[in-house]
Amino acid sequence: MIENYSVPSSVAEAAQLLQQGDATIVAGGTDLTPQTEAGARTFASHLVNIQRIEEMRGISTSDGRFRIGGLTTVTEILESKILAEEIPVLVEAADHFASPQIRNAATLAGNLCNASPAGDMCIPLLLLDAEVELASWVDGSVAIRSVPLAEFFTGPGKTVLQAGELLVAVEFRQPAKGFTASFQKSGPRPALEISTVSMGLAAVLQDGLLTGVRIAIGAVAPTPLRATATESTLEGRALDENMISSAVQSVQQEVSPIDDVRASAWYRKHLTGVYIRRALSHVAGN
Amino acid sequence: MSSIELKTGEKKSGGINKVFSKKTVIGTRVTKPDAPDKATGKTIYINDMVLPRMLYGKILHTDRVHARIISIDTSAAKALPGVHVVLTGEDIPLLKFGTMRDNVPLKAGKVRCIRDEVAAVAAETEQIAAEAIALIKVEYEDLPAVFSPTEALQEGAPVVQEDHPDNRSLAYKFSHGDVAAAEADSDIVLEHEFVVPYVTHCCMGPGCAIADFDSAGKLTIYSQTQYPYNYKMDLAPAIGIHPGDIRVIQPPVGGAFGSKLDVYPFEPICALLSKASGRPVKLTFSREEEFINSPTRQPAEFKIKSGVNKDGTLTFRSVDCLMNNGAYTSWGPTTPIIQMRTFTGHFRVPAVEYNGLAAYTNSVYAGSFRGYGNVQATYVTASVMDMLAEEVGMDPIAFRLKNAQDPGEVTPQGSKLDDCKLKECIEIAAQKTDFLSKHETYAGLCKQPGRIKRGIGIATSIHNAGGAKIHKSDGCGSILKLDDYARATLITGASEIGQGIDAVLTQIVMDELGIPKADVTIVNNDTALGPWDVGVHASRTTFVAGNAALQAARAARKQILDAASKQSNVSAEEMDLRQGHVVQADNGVSIVKLDKLLRQMHFADEPELVMVSEYFEPDSELEDRNHVGNLSATWAHGAYVAEVEVDTETGEVKVTKITAVQDVGRVINRLGIEGQMEGGISVSLGYALSEELLIQDGKVLNPNFRDYKVPTAPETPEIELHFVESDCKASPLGSKGIAELPAIIPAPAIANAVYNAIGIRFFAPPLTPEKVARAIHGATTQ
Repeated sequence: MIENYSVPSSVAEAAQLLQQGDATIVAGGTDLTPQTEAGARTFASHLVNIQRIEEMRGISTSDGRFRIGGLTTVTEILESKILAEEIPVLVEAADHFASPQIRNAATLAGNLCNASPAGDMCIPLLLLDAEVELASWVDGSVAIRSVPLAEFFTGPGKTVLQAGELLVAVEFRQPAKGFTASFQKSGPRPALEISTVSMGLAAVLQDGLLTGVRIAIGAVAPTPLRATATESTLEGRALDENMISSAVQSVQQEVSPIDDVRASAWYRKHLTGVYIRRALSHVAGN
Repeated sequence: MSSIELKTGEKKSGGINKVFSKKTVIGTRVTKPDAPDKATGKTIYINDMVLPRMLYGKILHTDRVHARIISIDTSAAKALPGVHVVLTGEDIPLLKFGTMRDNVPLKAGKVRCIRDEVAAVAAETEQIAAEAIALIKVEYEDLPAVFSPTEALQEGAPVVQEDHPDNRSLAYKFSHGDVAAAEADSDIVLEHEFVVPYVTHCCMGPGCAIADFDSAGKLTIYSQTQYPYNYKMDLAPAIGIHPGDIRVIQPPVGGAFGSKLDVYPFEPICALLSKASGRPVKLTFSREEEFINSPTRQPAEFKIKSGVNKDGTLTFRSVDCLMNNGAYTSWGPTTPIIQMRTFTGHFRVPAVEYNGLAAYTNSVYAGSFRGYGNVQATYVTASVMDMLAEEVGMDPIAFRLKNAQDPGEVTPQGSKLDDCKLKECIEIAAQKTDFLSKHETYAGLCKQPGRIKRGIGIATSIHNAGGAKIHKSDGCGSILKLDDYARATLITGASEIGQGIDAVLTQIVMDELGIPKADVTIVNNDTALGPWDVGVHASRTTFVAGNAALQAARAARKQILDAASKQSNVSAEEMDLRQGHVVQADNGVSIVKLDKLLRQMHFADEPELVMVSEYFEPDSELEDRNHVGNLSATWAHGAYVAEVEVDTETGEVKVTKITAVQDVGRVINRLGIEGQMEGGISVSLGYALSEELLIQDGKVLNPNFRDYKVPTAPETPEIELHFVESDCKASPLGSKGIAELPAIIPAPAIANAVYNAIGIRFFAPPLTPEKVARAIHGATTQ
């Protein structure tokens, strides 16, 4: 049960509060509230509302790197002009995210820390080789460690985030010239849909050959998945029907989906095949 | 104006008499009177209400599907500060209630399904109530359980209800003509099996009741019920009091759709907690409780055998319907009463038979839901009609027109189709959608390569549109009074659950009395005030309550015009009521202002108040023992066309357009009828494509809006509505009931369109992307 409530206004203040232990962090609350209401999660004794930490907001670029503050809402990503121009795949994923009301409240850090295998923002960030910046209070000051997003997730709802740590920001390098990426998501409804399968694919197509292939898939494994085996089988190959067929085969072997109320493993594998075909056609078309 | 010669009249200060032209509001678009408050958040719904000294109730539902209760330890819950009352089945007398008297509020000795209520608490806050529930310890001994109706009917199956050792619940049998001979004579006989799922109402306002016993032992219950008068009768035995000692107050509710047409255990439990605590008690479901513990639409398995001759004439139809009754009996297993009418009477079928049976299981139980059995029947019949048409080489339109009834025909069960508009509906639907040319084109493209396939499909149905006489009376009472300022109050038995009867009744009063909308108040939320009504069901309220209001308004109008006639030398027949004035009907010249006349009547030597009461009983019949009788005063048909796009890779079905053609008798509130039809279409869209309450071994797998997929705005298709106005003779208003057909017909039209697109027929809705993808890609492994 909640006994204390704090509203820190800086990362340093938040890190100190979290260091005391037994805390639940709340930002947009769009995952936390339904989970606690349903009894799937319980509040720690200390509820720390990080919404007023201004330094954790906003999208910026410098030295060829993008930085998105953890408290940036999905709506802010959706409406970002710079992202629309430079990283449209992030905006596409934001557009598929839940509903306008939820997008207005949900934060990027929240979506990542919730660690749903179906988390929509995880997929494009995996394509971008993003890193997450984790802050904690060590020896009287804020300590930061960076973790590649691909190593951040450890299982459904589980991450490497340790007690006392706060996801402050996400960073990634400006993609190489010619980088093309796409995001696809399935479910019976266009809105308010948790993915049956989501897939992102990014690559650079030069002289008919694919390089820098990145494939990320949601809801087919315990964590959002980087399909590295398939990536390497495609790397440097000519984009033709042969290659697409082998991509379909490879990716369907690489995923390990489950049967649940939303879909069967068969259907998730089937969709994975459909989506990689579409994604590669999309790259070919660009 | 001044040139008009006046017989008599009320002079304005300038000496010019006002003239008022005849304006009717019937058929116009009238906003619901409660809309501004609802849109601005002012409305206090039952879920928002707080009474002084009120306690919060909560129920401990079992986590077993079939088990003997060995012990219940409530000591820790009772000891928790803030807890006033803890009740179990052992603390109350045996209080049997329900359609089959097979349910009790709190279960003692045994639980039979996941919904079963084993204990309840009343506490000072919701949180304390929840903590107390968590402290109750129940020890069970699991019993063998049965979930499928087929297995439940087998010898030696676990017995669900001790009074029904064979697990048989309600059964229905109807037969007309010589089915065996018709089958032998038929050129073509087809047999099919269909399975229809559990779906649920998804009311935005979850289940809620507030019960308050007074010191004299009388109960006031604030309820979401949509049938307040019979509700008293049904609730009383579940509490052990006299129905006359119950007063039902109906605050605004967040939807009902049939789900509040019965008493469910939480309501008597709430009352029993109030009785035991001496305090008002409020009991509200969480969303998860709402999904698990609310009634569903009746699931069923159908076997249908149909015959047709080569020339396209239907010869016979034979239907077996097996229903999962669940552990207790609410209205679900009674839906064959309406369902049968479609199987036996939709299209001209000379020989028909229907056998329906419900079997007790340890699953959840179904109630009534908009469409009442006809959703299931229409999915089956409309699919079969298309298959038969294809078999005899006819197009879906010509085949239907060949077998459609003409006005004046009577169906085998005695439904009188006096003003049958079935052919007209089909013809308009085909013409407005360019059906035949699209159908042929899409069928031709079906086997060609291509990711997206288009399809068009039609479905039709019939539904009671003049009430449904399932009680000895299907009537409604109306009391109308006018005050000294010509403000009218209509006190009606008809409930408002969002469907819009408030606007319709307001229009009727406005129209007859010539007064503005703001001057009409509808009172319909208190059984201590209102006259009797059966309830909001069977598409009946505009038909029955509307005509009751019309009778009352006409009686008041007559009283007013008679009084005006006495004061002037104009006869009542030559006068009219317009815009707050008594006027001369021919030229619209004001004779006297209505409020002034009412005061003159009131303060006369022989005082007279305008205060009338009327009762309207539709001209319909109870069914006889063989299910024959004209159950409804009138019947209506509809023909709906769906256009779809199927993604053959992912299996996603997108409905691009629904064209609805329906016999509505006469449009009263154009805005209301559009809303009702669009809302109904959305219900049916969910039934067709996405909605299913998944129940495995008696447990609900998706009790939340994340995994129970109701349609949302983006997938709502373009909707085109066409109203066929037959000016129904059975209704003084001219209108027919309209509310259920839109929730009934679209689903099979969509399934028929999907068949047109990809050549695959689906015998078990919903057509989820996975189901469609599996069918296309031939996957057999789960």
